[in-house]
Amino acid sequence: MIDARTFKDEITVLLDQLYDSQKDNLELMAQAFRKCIEEDGVVHVFGSGHSVGLGIDIKDRVGSLVPIHIMEMADFVTKGGIPAEEFMDPKNIFERKPGVAQKLYDLYDIKPQDIFVVISNSGINGIVIDIADLAKKNGHKVIIITSMKHTLAEEPRHPSGKKLYEFGDIVVDNCGPHGDALIQTDGVAKVCSVSSICNNCIAQSVAARTIELLEEDGVELPVLNGNEEHDTYLKKKYEGRA
Amino acid sequence: MDVMKRYFELIKSTVNDTYEDQKDRIREVAGLFGDCMENGGVVQLFGVRHGEEFMNELNYRAGGIAPFHGLKLRDMMLKNMISQEDIDSGAIYSDLSVIDRFYDAFEMDDRDMYCLVSFYGNEPLTVEIARRARENGQKVVAVVNKKSYDAVGGTLLDYADAYLDMASEEPDIAMTINDVKVGQISSTVSNVIAQMLTAEIYDYFVSRGKEAPVLLSANIKGSDVHNNSLTDPYGRRVR
Repeated sequence: MIDARTFKDEITVLLDQLYDSQKDNLELMAQAFRKCIEEDGVVHVFGSGHSVGLGIDIKDRVGSLVPIHIMEMADFVTKGGIPAEEFMDPKNIFERKPGVAQKLYDLYDIKPQDIFVVISNSGINGIVIDIADLAKKNGHKVIIITSMKHTLAEEPRHPSGKKLYEFGDIVVDNCGPHGDALIQTDGVAKVCSVSSICNNCIAQSVAARTIELLEEDGVELPVLNGNEEHDTYLKKKYEGRA
Repeated sequence: MDVMKRYFELIKSTVNDTYEDQKDRIREVAGLFGDCMENGGVVQLFGVRHGEEFMNELNYRAGGIAPFHGLKLRDMMLKNMISQEDIDSGAIYSDLSVIDRFYDAFEMDDRDMYCLVSFYGNEPLTVEIARRARENGQKVVAVVNKKSYDAVGGTLLDYADAYLDMASEEPDIAMTINDVKVGQISSTVSNVIAQMLTAEIYDYFVSRGKEAPVLLSANIKGSDVHNNSLTDPYGRRVR
């Protein structure tokens, strides 16, 4: 029988595996955040589909870092002047169009000290690899979050013959299973996907460690604290960038 | 203990408490969802602010259940029905003049029910969606952070057939580091609740001798055909 307890038990084991196997990579990620933020940089986060949740989770609440910027496909409509009909055309999937990564990249004010977090479970789709490749070619540090079990089981699809993790200066394995669903049923299907939960834990724990490091260094903490004057000042400071 | 480990431990212990405290209610909610789906209905999800994460967690995922649909404000924005500013400022959640456009933007059916996700459970828009659903004889499930809901005197639960609790503090602060408030847990806990619901809905179908409408991962051969066969009957109500 599969029920809530099955999931609770299995996710608990998985979160232990995630922390135990990735703690050194999480520390490296926090150190990269620290350096970037201390140089007045911004962390750009890009993930296709559900992966963008990682960025959303560490933004815009009391206790959140401000210099985090989410690169969103919808920005093509809101910032890039692409008509919504073209963007949402189900017969001509927008993110598969050639050159789309460069166009997205060009929508933003990206500074040399900025770093990138690129997230994809399978790590084989064009646009995430193109964004990681562009960021790297432009001299930015690139952090990849992927499922190593998933990505290693897939054939590469990108013209470079590479997978996303091969573009990472730091690679964090979210430890999710191939296909993302955790629990095997009696049939072919597996149920209960885990990547959002694992990715949130990665992002939240790294954000916390980053704040601790910044605090140790005695620098201004770009963290929302609920004080209107303070939070408005921070939002102003990063306006147009984050 | 280092702060990263602290975060993981906090999530694990909250998940464990959430299971122990709410397992009966999680089963009850899964039953409401299952009954709705058995009757040809879709569970229409609406998430306020970070509540969108819960909506996304159940909306068209590999290993997820098919008849869910996210009522995304972003889709309204892309259709020029509301502005990005309306969403970013949060004004949209207290603006009842938007409600007719809201129903125009999405295809829904009287067989559908609602799952409304709101940390405070007090935004006029969310409460009005719940009120109208109930008036129309449709079931409503609310997901709120109960401590926060109580603190602000929310009213969403007045119109809910059942509710689940994000089990976080008010305000939702994961930890403090030298008096600095750091991080949050409510969305991660909510995502775990969403997956517990997925497991229970799966059981709902299987225990009745039926095949559960589980979406397959794209890496499984034939997944496109299978997944389309699950979603096509609903037309635009699920995709």
